[in-house]
Amino acid sequence: MRQRISVILFLLTSAVIAVWGTSVSLTSETPVGREEVVFWHFWSGADGKVVDQIVQRFNRSQEQYFVRAVSMPGNNFDMKLFLAITGGDPPDLINQDDPIVADWAHREALYSMEEIAPAEEVDRMKQWLLPAARSLGEYDGKLYAVCNGLDIRALYFNQDLVEAALQRPAPPFLSSTDELDSVAQACTKYQGQQLTQVGYLPDPRRLWAWGPAFGGDFYNEVDNEFTADDDAIVRALDWMVSYRRRLGAHNVATFRQNDQSLPNKMFPLLANRYAVVLDGQWRVRDIEAAQEESLLKGQSPTRYGVWPLPHDPTASGKAGWVNGNVFLVPRHSKQSKGAWEFIKFWTGLDGQQDEAAKTCIAGGWIPVAKPVSDSELFQGYLDEHPLFERFVEFSQTDQVPTPLVPGAARYYREINNLVQRAMYSEEQIDLKAELALISQQMQQQLDRLGDRSHVVDDGGRNE
Amino acid sequence: MSAVTQRRRRLSGWIFVSPWLLGLLILFIYPFIASFLWSFTEYDLLTSPRYVGTDHYQRIAQEIASGEGFGKALVNTVYFAVVSVPLSIFMAISLAVMLNWKVRGQAIFRTLFYLPSMVPIVASSILWLWLLDPRDGMVNGFLGFFYEVPPLWFQGIQEAISLDTPLQFGSKDGLAMMSLWGVGNFMLIYLAAIGDIEPSLYHAAELDGAGVWQKFRHITLPMLSPIIFFNLILGIIQSVQAFTQVYIVSEGTGQPAESSLMISLQLFLSAFRDLEMGYASAIAWVLFALLGLATWGLFRTSKNWVHYRGVRM
Amino acid sequence: MSSMTGGEMNNQRTSVWRITLLIVVSALFMLPLVLMLLASLKPAEQLTGDPYSLLPERVVWSNYQQALEAIPYLKYLANSIVLCVGSVVGTVVSCSLVAYGFARLRWRGRKAMFAVLIATMLLPWHVTMIPRFVLFSELGLYNQLAAIILPTFLGDAFYIFMLRQFFMSIPEELSEAARLDGLSEFGIYWRIIVPLSKPALVTVAMFQLVVSWNDFSSPLLYLSDQEKFPLAYGLEQFVSSYSDQTHLLMAASVMFTLPMVFLFFVAQKSFTRGITMTGSK
Repeated sequence: MRQRISVILFLLTSAVIAVWGTSVSLTSETPVGREEVVFWHFWSGADGKVVDQIVQRFNRSQEQYFVRAVSMPGNNFDMKLFLAITGGDPPDLINQDDPIVADWAHREALYSMEEIAPAEEVDRMKQWLLPAARSLGEYDGKLYAVCNGLDIRALYFNQDLVEAALQRPAPPFLSSTDELDSVAQACTKYQGQQLTQVGYLPDPRRLWAWGPAFGGDFYNEVDNEFTADDDAIVRALDWMVSYRRRLGAHNVATFRQNDQSLPNKMFPLLANRYAVVLDGQWRVRDIEAAQEESLLKGQSPTRYGVWPLPHDPTASGKAGWVNGNVFLVPRHSKQSKGAWEFIKFWTGLDGQQDEAAKTCIAGGWIPVAKPVSDSELFQGYLDEHPLFERFVEFSQTDQVPTPLVPGAARYYREINNLVQRAMYSEEQIDLKAELALISQQMQQQLDRLGDRSHVVDDGGRNE
Repeated sequence: MSAVTQRRRRLSGWIFVSPWLLGLLILFIYPFIASFLWSFTEYDLLTSPRYVGTDHYQRIAQEIASGEGFGKALVNTVYFAVVSVPLSIFMAISLAVMLNWKVRGQAIFRTLFYLPSMVPIVASSILWLWLLDPRDGMVNGFLGFFYEVPPLWFQGIQEAISLDTPLQFGSKDGLAMMSLWGVGNFMLIYLAAIGDIEPSLYHAAELDGAGVWQKFRHITLPMLSPIIFFNLILGIIQSVQAFTQVYIVSEGTGQPAESSLMISLQLFLSAFRDLEMGYASAIAWVLFALLGLATWGLFRTSKNWVHYRGVRM
Repeated sequence: MSSMTGGEMNNQRTSVWRITLLIVVSALFMLPLVLMLLASLKPAEQLTGDPYSLLPERVVWSNYQQALEAIPYLKYLANSIVLCVGSVVGTVVSCSLVAYGFARLRWRGRKAMFAVLIATMLLPWHVTMIPRFVLFSELGLYNQLAAIILPTFLGDAFYIFMLRQFFMSIPEELSEAARLDGLSEFGIYWRIIVPLSKPALVTVAMFQLVVSWNDFSSPLLYLSDQEKFPLAYGLEQFVSSYSDQTHLLMAASVMFTLPMVFLFFVAQKSFTRGITMTGSK
């Protein structure tokens, strides 16, 4: 009897929840008379709130379109998007940061901006964007992606630690990787057998930055050739692996993994685990927050600085690696016009630089256009955030993206896997041969994709 | 019975099974043919398929030889199966034997042993991700007494059963550990089978002076052999199909460095992340063939060790 | 005591040993669950500051409230319920009908069809996954819960097999008598077989309930709209954005696990019976 009652209660509760749950909606409804632009992005938490505010600002500025932002945290964002496109229910606009632009453009999963916007506006957009931002979206002579935030990486250093170890003031920049090595060695500490502090430890995902800094090219655009076994890249990788040779593979792996379990995914530099860390501009906020916290506690805050990647400007001029967030308009987007309006709003085109500056300040993002970073509003922000200013400065140097070529996402992965293997295990690897093998496989894949007729399907376009 | 009712009964047979027939047609026969045909094409679902002959099968053969891509996933899956299947058979039988002891509170113990199997796989993945955290995980908190450098579990590419890194538990060992925790279903099957064994067999053995181990070795184990065989085959199939837990602990990528990239995840990612439907279909078929081969091989050897009702087959 | 024979003493000693061993092993099996429960009640600082401590410094029930809001738990729960109910109904209806056809009716091709049914059980889902996705998209089922529910109305080989075994154990004379009374085949199925097979049908329903509740790969493949996510999938999304908030993750996991534990205690018998049935075919 009691069992029966509990089952009935259980069923009743379920029914109530089901009825209630299917009737409530998680996002705000689109007002009557406005055209809805469904916008997918992957920001969540604090960044998600910033995005919501930007969207609200846009919606207030508009009478025709209404952007409904959908946060899609989780893994394999691209995959979900691809499923939505092939499933026949794509969003109208997305923002993401993986190197898939060329691949998807090649497979005709995207609209180029030329297809959805007036030619004259697209031209102006191309002029508007910084070279680094533009390079992230151009494929086959057309603009398939519009960058709305650059991610630039540089070497953060703990100035107090570095100066204590070197017993002299920290240099304003590093002249070579040798100098970085000597700083790193001076700052590495052991407790018995166990590493407690590492001067510097290359991140396996950043051969993409060190390769160009060493003067290497991952792809030869003239001959359409994958060139991962470029001598400069092999040298860069060998240099990264030298850290494993010095510290031991297991130490490297353990030390690296333990970073992940710092409280609240803390920036490891702040935990004094490293003296130098290669990371992106978003860490400036973490550093500033930590410094503020020390001040509140009445301690003198630790000083931090930023170095650009040491590179030889006479040799190639390439300064490092850039990636960033880009807007994409999936083919069959029902509101491509509205999507374009929102892109213009976010990037600040057509005299909206103050709005764009506000956006960049809110998110701690690097502007993609010079007028935005030069705006009074943004300059005022930079005056208060000297570390961030360095990154904005670097964004205007020659930063190289992952090549825009079909298969780039796989290329990116395979290279990172190789570096990870080379750095985290004692396995003896012939770096040059392995890099050559990756190039060869990528080349095969490219050849297979090869000559595909560029039939443009206008079926789902909204004119 | 009249001829009309006869015919009606015959026809109603087809009518009753018609839902399944429809399912067979659209969920099996059509996909079966389509994926076979696609495996000979370059296809991304966005543009029309292009015939490429046996390219994908050649690529798979190459990858098996070089241990990359599918080859890597195959090696990972085999490692996972070889570690987890025998251990879970051993575990399930041990637990079943223990539950068969006539002690007070038998039912409670059975519930306690079985309960972990009711934990949804998503929840148990989250749970073990935390328990096996290299730094904050309880398991390493305990292992810290024995290891100078505690194992990395889901963050590590090591393999505990290897010459290079013996007992350094890596991502696949973590997954095996998870599957051991959920052996409840097979434990119950073994328990029922042990209950079905004629007590007279044990009495006879006792009269011959057999000890506990001898009784287990010569009566219990042979009587359980058909179920062990069933468990072995199902275990292999389950290892090959392991997806959810792999997806969650490796954040949908098979990381670190593809050390937890199992076949089902590799196939899924090839298809829907890399947009290579042709290659993925070819993998599915190779997998189908390999599974068939393994099952057939097991059936062949089973004649030597599986006893049906005490009679060797 | 002194009157005990050596054998009895021995027996008692083994039984003490056995109980001790059982307690130790069951404690080991329950430990992860207990740790999950305890962690879900700990303050966040304790989990990062003192990760190896067992008991919560203070009990923080608000973890649950926070998790409920952050996920959004109730919305996803509602979707899970819709999925589970739909799939259970679909499975029980279709599988019992098909099993009746295989178990109680004689028709040409039955044996061959049954062999095909068994064969589909051995087919890995990978082989059919991609075309199935394409087909469902063509049918406009993408991003619809129906993409996950509808296939259950087309039967499942495993359950059909289970129910067939059960139906076959019901005496044929009952059907013959009903036929003489003029009952149609559907009438026999509905009035005689179904009522007599309640335990088996409950088992199938329970199994499918667990499967639907746990199902992660179908929503991953078919759903893109947060409004439609079931818990199993919503929870995974939550993990990737809150990976550092162990207390919330554990609270969410506990809430996701509890209904299954409840189900097990309510329907322990049909579970155990169903599972042992699969082994003894």
